[in-house]
Amino acid sequence: MTLFNNYFRKLGNFVKPFKRTECFIVLSKRTFANGAYDYDLAVIGGGSGGLACAKEAINLGAKVAVLDYVTPSPQGTKWGLGGTCVNVGCIPKKLMHQAALLGEAIHEAVAYGWQVPSVEQVRIDWSALTEAVQNHIKSVNWVTRVDLREKKIEYINGLGEFKDPHTIIATMKNGSKKELTAKNVVIAVGGRPHYPDIPGAKEYCISSDDIFSLSNPPGKTLVVGAGYIGLECAGFLNSLGYSATVLVRSVPLRGFDQQMSSMITNEMEEKGVKFQHRCIPLSVEKLASGQLKARWLNTETQEESEDVFDTVLLATGRYALTQQLNLPAAGVTTLSKNGKIVANTEQTNVPHIYAVGDVLEGRPELTPVAIHAGRLLARRMFGGSSQQMDYENVATTVFTPLEYGCVGLSEEVATDRYGADNLEVYHAFYKPTEFFIPQRNIRNCYLKAVALRDAPQRILGLHFVGPVAGEVIQGFAAAVKCGITMEQLSNTVGIHPTVAEEFTRLNITKRSGKDPNPASCCS
Amino acid sequence: MSGAILTQGLRSPMRRLAGLRQAKSISKSVVHNETILVKNNNEFINKVMNNDKPVIVNFHAEWCEPCKILTPKLKELIEPLHNLDLAVVDVEDNAELVHAFEVKAVPAVIAIKNGLIVDKFIGLVDADMINNLIDRMSGKKKEDA
Repeated sequence: MTLFNNYFRKLGNFVKPFKRTECFIVLSKRTFANGAYDYDLAVIGGGSGGLACAKEAINLGAKVAVLDYVTPSPQGTKWGLGGTCVNVGCIPKKLMHQAALLGEAIHEAVAYGWQVPSVEQVRIDWSALTEAVQNHIKSVNWVTRVDLREKKIEYINGLGEFKDPHTIIATMKNGSKKELTAKNVVIAVGGRPHYPDIPGAKEYCISSDDIFSLSNPPGKTLVVGAGYIGLECAGFLNSLGYSATVLVRSVPLRGFDQQMSSMITNEMEEKGVKFQHRCIPLSVEKLASGQLKARWLNTETQEESEDVFDTVLLATGRYALTQQLNLPAAGVTTLSKNGKIVANTEQTNVPHIYAVGDVLEGRPELTPVAIHAGRLLARRMFGGSSQQMDYENVATTVFTPLEYGCVGLSEEVATDRYGADNLEVYHAFYKPTEFFIPQRNIRNCYLKAVALRDAPQRILGLHFVGPVAGEVIQGFAAAVKCGITMEQLSNTVGIHPTVAEEFTRLNITKRSGKDPNPASCCS
Repeated sequence: MSGAILTQGLRSPMRRLAGLRQAKSISKSVVHNETILVKNNNEFINKVMNNDKPVIVNFHAEWCEPCKILTPKLKELIEPLHNLDLAVVDVEDNAELVHAFEVKAVPAVIAIKNGLIVDKFIGLVDADMINNLIDRMSGKKKEDA
């Protein structure tokens, strides 16, 4: 065998050099593409936007470095490569949402005839849940690192800041520093949870950074904030069996269609989540028992209230991590008052410095937005493309126990922009077939289409509250991008029995005043 | 014949690996039947590449459920054997080995004999495949020449 192998080895000696020459040529193209700088592109931030941009850039022949660093949360939580979405955002959120739904499904199964022994004793094992979720996250961290290594993207686990417009200093965990120069820089640092300035916030409260790896079950939880993060957390915590109370400063899901938002919160209330409207937190203190006493103020009645909780989860907004970048050293001045970067075409006032993702002002803070924008940006930088990112009509979904999916304009924004007289809003309540047998609440299953009044009635926004709302809305997002009209939607034949088909059955307008409740199915 | 070509085709990781460490001392230590827990490249070269016996190398991760089933199974089957060793490589601690062997998913099992890769499988495979591999590695000598 060895003789045989030696023979092949000799052949290999001829074949290999040619291969290596090819590699050498590609390598030299990369290295000498810009002799003046270490890299063609340095990406600060290894999250959705940063990684997508880096991977597209390397495909186009650029020499790329990615810096990623996670400053521990006030409670000490940290995580690996991949950014917010993978570690403390979309992914663990969706997994916990799924865990909550499965818990509900176990009970519904009984109505369908499943014999579930001691169904009243079914409980969630928080440790098992968090372990499963964290294992999945770690596997994604690993695959991401392997992918970067394979694509020959340099990964630096350090906190990046500018020294001058083309020089970045990365500070590692052990304090050592590494300096690198780059022809282009993309800022994709994202954001972190904001902590209100009240006593006890940083010492005793947790945020979405901590909930998905919390070492002890959260127990009775107070969620401060009613944006989608607060509502989604309160939603799955409640369904998992942990009592949840939500403090709402102004309105739930501010910025979203308010009628749909009220459907969601109604459903959550009917499921047992308590809402304290028009309330702001005053303080959180730790009791001898280890529990937390939270005090809050009702800004309308000026009444103060308090209660004891096991966990207080702050979800009062997120701020962009621009402070630690030392942007003045780079000459970047286009910052909004919330510290985000203003960059309409992802380019800052410094021509070779760009920004992508949550750090951008006025753009949807969504992973697919960051990924798409990051890719298009890389193509413009290294691929000679001129295609800009289209931030209009980006679909999104709030994963509360009863989900809310939407694409396009809310009714409020459409009314503002076009005037109520120029709009026609079609709406309907519906009854999912699967809800009947377990007698699930159908009161909040509702959808609407906001369209222009004049024929062919181009659709401006679609809104849907119901199960699997994300799956329902995704296809319609493509339709809205094509400029779908009510005429086309009405002429689309639905798939039966589904909940998505309700969009094709829309025919009652708000203007008509007719009852939008369904008579019966199949007609 | 096919074994040799397989060997040839899979040899390039060895080049990369060789580059990681210059000194190649032949291991003359007493034959242990304990599983080799690879902590670094040197250990890998000494105890796996330069091992007189064939070695089954199991790439393992703590966060990987199928690994938690496969690794104990491999230990159970291989530790009693005197002419075959098992090496477990934790992918989090051995990034360069992962890269050298182009491991993109875990669990991954690579069979090494005389410093050459002779077989590879990815994922949790059934007991038959594992047993076949072990029989081939520990039983009859390779005769494809």
